[in-house]
Amino acid sequence: MRNFIGSRSISKISYFCPKSLTEALDFLDNCKENVKILAGGTDVIPAVRSGKLLLIDNINILDIKSIDELKHIVFEEEGLRIGATVTLSEVIESEIVKNNCPLLKKAIDQIGSMQIRNWATIGGNICNASPAADSAVSLLALDASLRLQSKGKSRLVPINEFFVGPGKTKLKSDELLTEIIIPKRNGNSTFIKLGRRNAFTLSLISIAVFVQMKDNVISDIKIALGAVAPTPIRAQNTEKILIGGKITEENLKTAVQTIKEEINPINDVRASSEYRRDMSGELLRKALINLFGI
Amino acid sequence: MQTREEKIISGKGIYVDDIVMPNMAYCLFVGSAYAHANIKKIDLQQALSLPGIITILTGKEILEAMNPLPPTFGSSDWLWRTPIVYPLVLDKARFYGEPIAAVIAESPDIASDAANLIDIEYDPLEPVVDLTKAIEPASPLLYEEWGDNIQIHKKVEFGDVQRSFEEADRILKVSWRENRASGFPIEARGCVAFYDKMTEILNVWSSTQSPSRAQYYLAQALKLPMTRVKITMADVGGGFGNKLNWWKETVVALAAILIGRPVKWVESKREFIVTGPHQRDVLWKGEVAIKNDGTILGIRAKLLVDLGVESTCREGAARTLAPACQAIPNAYHLKGLEVDVYGVVTNKSFYGAYRGFGKDKGIKFMERIVQMTARELHMDPVQIRKKNLIQKEEFPYEQITGYVYDSGNYEALLEKALELGNLPYWEKEKQKRREQDRYLGVGIGITVEPAGLGTSTNALTMARVRMTPDGLIEVEAGQPDIGQGSTITRRKIAADILGVKMDHIEVKRDNSDMVFTAVFSSRGAVYPTSALAKAAKLLRQRIISFAADFLNESPSNLDIKESVVYSKTSHKEITFKELARKAYFSPGPIGLGTEKKINHEVVLDVSATWFSPNTARHPKSTYTTFCAGVDLVVLEIDKHTGQVNILKYVHVHDAGTVIDENIVDGQIYGGIMQGIGEALYEELVYNQKGELLSNSYSDYLIPTTLDSPNVIVEHLCTPSPFTELGTKGMGEAPIIGSKVAVINAIEDALSPLGIVVTESPATPERIRGWILESKEEVE
Amino acid sequence: MQVPINTRINQRSYELEVDARTTLLDLLREKLDLKSVHRGCEEGECGACTVLLNGKPVCSCLVLSPQINGAEVLTVEGLMKDGNMHPLMKAFVENYAMQCGYCTPGMVMTSYYLINTWDDFTEEDIRKGLEGNLCRCTGYTNIIRAIREAKKYKDAGYWW
Repeated sequence: MRNFIGSRSISKISYFCPKSLTEALDFLDNCKENVKILAGGTDVIPAVRSGKLLLIDNINILDIKSIDELKHIVFEEEGLRIGATVTLSEVIESEIVKNNCPLLKKAIDQIGSMQIRNWATIGGNICNASPAADSAVSLLALDASLRLQSKGKSRLVPINEFFVGPGKTKLKSDELLTEIIIPKRNGNSTFIKLGRRNAFTLSLISIAVFVQMKDNVISDIKIALGAVAPTPIRAQNTEKILIGGKITEENLKTAVQTIKEEINPINDVRASSEYRRDMSGELLRKALINLFGI
Repeated sequence: MQTREEKIISGKGIYVDDIVMPNMAYCLFVGSAYAHANIKKIDLQQALSLPGIITILTGKEILEAMNPLPPTFGSSDWLWRTPIVYPLVLDKARFYGEPIAAVIAESPDIASDAANLIDIEYDPLEPVVDLTKAIEPASPLLYEEWGDNIQIHKKVEFGDVQRSFEEADRILKVSWRENRASGFPIEARGCVAFYDKMTEILNVWSSTQSPSRAQYYLAQALKLPMTRVKITMADVGGGFGNKLNWWKETVVALAAILIGRPVKWVESKREFIVTGPHQRDVLWKGEVAIKNDGTILGIRAKLLVDLGVESTCREGAARTLAPACQAIPNAYHLKGLEVDVYGVVTNKSFYGAYRGFGKDKGIKFMERIVQMTARELHMDPVQIRKKNLIQKEEFPYEQITGYVYDSGNYEALLEKALELGNLPYWEKEKQKRREQDRYLGVGIGITVEPAGLGTSTNALTMARVRMTPDGLIEVEAGQPDIGQGSTITRRKIAADILGVKMDHIEVKRDNSDMVFTAVFSSRGAVYPTSALAKAAKLLRQRIISFAADFLNESPSNLDIKESVVYSKTSHKEITFKELARKAYFSPGPIGLGTEKKINHEVVLDVSATWFSPNTARHPKSTYTTFCAGVDLVVLEIDKHTGQVNILKYVHVHDAGTVIDENIVDGQIYGGIMQGIGEALYEELVYNQKGELLSNSYSDYLIPTTLDSPNVIVEHLCTPSPFTELGTKGMGEAPIIGSKVAVINAIEDALSPLGIVVTESPATPERIRGWILESKEEVE
Repeated sequence: MQVPINTRINQRSYELEVDARTTLLDLLREKLDLKSVHRGCEEGECGACTVLLNGKPVCSCLVLSPQINGAEVLTVEGLMKDGNMHPLMKAFVENYAMQCGYCTPGMVMTSYYLINTWDDFTEEDIRKGLEGNLCRCTGYTNIIRAIREAKKYKDAGYWW
């Protein structure tokens, strides 16, 4: 057991702040060990202070915030591409995001406070791999992919496969998340977050739904949840029930029941697993009512 | 002249963390990893070898140099156990985070690096974390020598309980639990200590609410005469009672003496929450004697209070158990009251003061009883209140518990709140929404706030007002400004009485040289204000009589305005500046009338003390004034999630004569917000191992801008006959009334489901749980 | 590790050597003596340390000092002109928008940003904008009032 220390200082660090992606990838290639990638640091610093994250002395901090190549928001054939170090505020304020991906805007608008959103980056929010990350929840519903780059290599990983556990991802030690790609799709979406107070609070649970309709039936639906499992997850059993049909009182009931059964929430100081399970159903109900107006 | 507010907003305030002294060292505490454990070994070797480490203190050094922390309050007619407490663990840690070592280093970073290297070997013991289990015979013990976990006990009885129950038509059983919560202002605790070899005085600059108490605690603990200890208040970033405790500071001071350098300790927010003063955490079980017409006759209750590790040495909040019982009758007639009260120790941080100081508990219990009585009798809670309220012609009213209420008009307050709340509209709305399966509720909380405690040091006050030789006025009255506006109010009082321009008055920063100075018990508008008013009136007389001599006028012809003494009948006048020049220099006292010189009244410098005439005549009325507030809240509950949305909030207040309405309103807005936070989500949650889980602002949630309702505030005024200016102490009623009004409103909203709210905070999860439970019962 | 940085703080250029582990909060407070920047929770939860970084409010406790290389920082000290309070600060004082004052400078910086960003705003906008600045004393009522009054000062052409 570790002694109680109210707030720990940041340990001694070696600080490297490359201006280009090549430099950053070279750095990762050369020194695979003892590197901590830093962007906004809004998750890293509190974790160090509280003792949840122990940095070894003289750890190499790779600050990627100054890399211009990671700051783009563009909409093109492939879809919406957002650079990893775009801040959460920049996402919210972007006309491109507003017009092409309102779901993402809505989810990110509810992360932290304005001060946090002004400094935290979308890449950081994803790579931190919090089970409660609101951005990841919306990106799951949007079927986004992540571009992971290492020296001379690049691969695309569907966000659905990216998370491994709390704080754990498929990112290799020489890799950097460089951009998020959201495929171009037409559809309706909604995002609902439940916190304990009205503002600036971690999600007890959050839900994002993206739905596509064809001939008055649901042709595709993606439902993602935060804070109900070790990682943000898709509720694929529930999706299956809804695809190909209309929303009726009956299948709404089944969907609510199914979603409660397919998640595995934890107990913590913020909520019990029972409440989270219960709420996954209630938020799904609210989300579907929002979307279908029933 | 820059005001306190102008200075602070410009970044020129000096809070403890802003103090920089040459050669200053930094202190960081390392606390226990376990809630309950014997300490087997402390290995400091690695930590001490780090460059920049000056020393590390542990229980061993403390035991050599210090007395145990001095208990300041006791009680001869209560079971009142006082453990031996040192600020660092000697052998057994009794709560998670309890300080074991104090690292003194050249910089905060070095202190932290070293703290990480301290190796402590523990022998963990089973922790006591549950209030009700703690008093079972099989429970592990915090203090073996006691034989149980009860620190405080007494059965108190007021009025005729027996008769009240004999006369009852029915007996109502009630249960009410308030979970652990506290204030946690944005600035945590901290101090800078420096032993001055020239004056041989230990100087401490501190974020304390009471330099006087701090001086006593520190001198006692360090075995120094009080005259060798001087505490000066830094600017204080909020207190709410949380900065009355004083214990870690003794270690910082000891370190300063031992190393011969200034030492600074500024606590982190997590340390504040984990090792700071905790409050509330009460469990009431009771029976209420009621008549079918809504009359509440009497109450029998058992009260369990979770005092955490102890509540007599780090601070004396065990005392809160007395007002918790005495304040129960609140605004109502009551024939009899009996409370069997237990202060129980558990492996949690210590019990300390927080806005409300015990009286809050009794009042909330009573307001819950009113609500539950209404429900039992199928009556409107407003009708129950009106049936039992003390009437305006009954003042001064001697309550069965001994409190003598000074003045008031509770029914008028209630009527005003109902009017502003537009209740008929909301009652209709409630019905309408119920048809849509939505749950709207209205809740009321009445609070009669006992203020200005007259026991022990609380009642000590002295004010000094003087004209300095430059013709300005200096005011000193033991009422430190921790943000509650006492600089402004003291200046206003003196300006009004003396006829001086506001910016000709300097309010002296509080320090331990004063007779007694502290912020607590809403005493500001009672004790220091009255002493100040008395002193200012005396100085005014003296200024006029000096001017009469210098102007050759009769004193009765003279008046003061804008720092000028002028004759009402002639054109003669003299400015304060000129008056001071004459009084002090030329001609000086020799130029004054013979009478004054013979009576030695030749200095424009007056002191006055004050004691409550109420408490003097009625020693059981330990409080002097009783301001009152009515809170009315309308809210809606989302039955699916359990979330609460406040739609309307009204607060009507009677604080007697108001010195500055903006200041009073500020207290009301702030108090209400804290009460709402406590009602809905603020909670200190321990796990079964006794670790505090809600140990930061991300889990101990305090309200944000988006949580605060617009509050409609209205004032009524019945001046207090017991204070010098008719003022009443205020500042605590809003946190009390708001919490219980919100709880009552939640219960009202859920009443179609038959739900009784038995616990706070009413978090969305709890509310949803009650809803689901009630549905199961229906099904 | 010492890192050289160039930065502008309160309209003044600095060339500094900073320890990489030092936060912007500590740099401003301890090295540059800008004591308006208050140490609150140091974990981004309270907003007491809010400064404007390239014109936007951030928690200075979450920024490592090398990260302000090439950037511009504004604190309450930089809002003042010739030792005079900025009209926004005046509005705070006049409207009793502060009690203990510990959250106040951070509150002022966020408010300054909000008033400058929006041509017009509702009470809801202010509330949403200030969600990251906790105040334990005021219940926020008078802070919201002060911001509205300050906006009037700005619209009336007071120096800003």
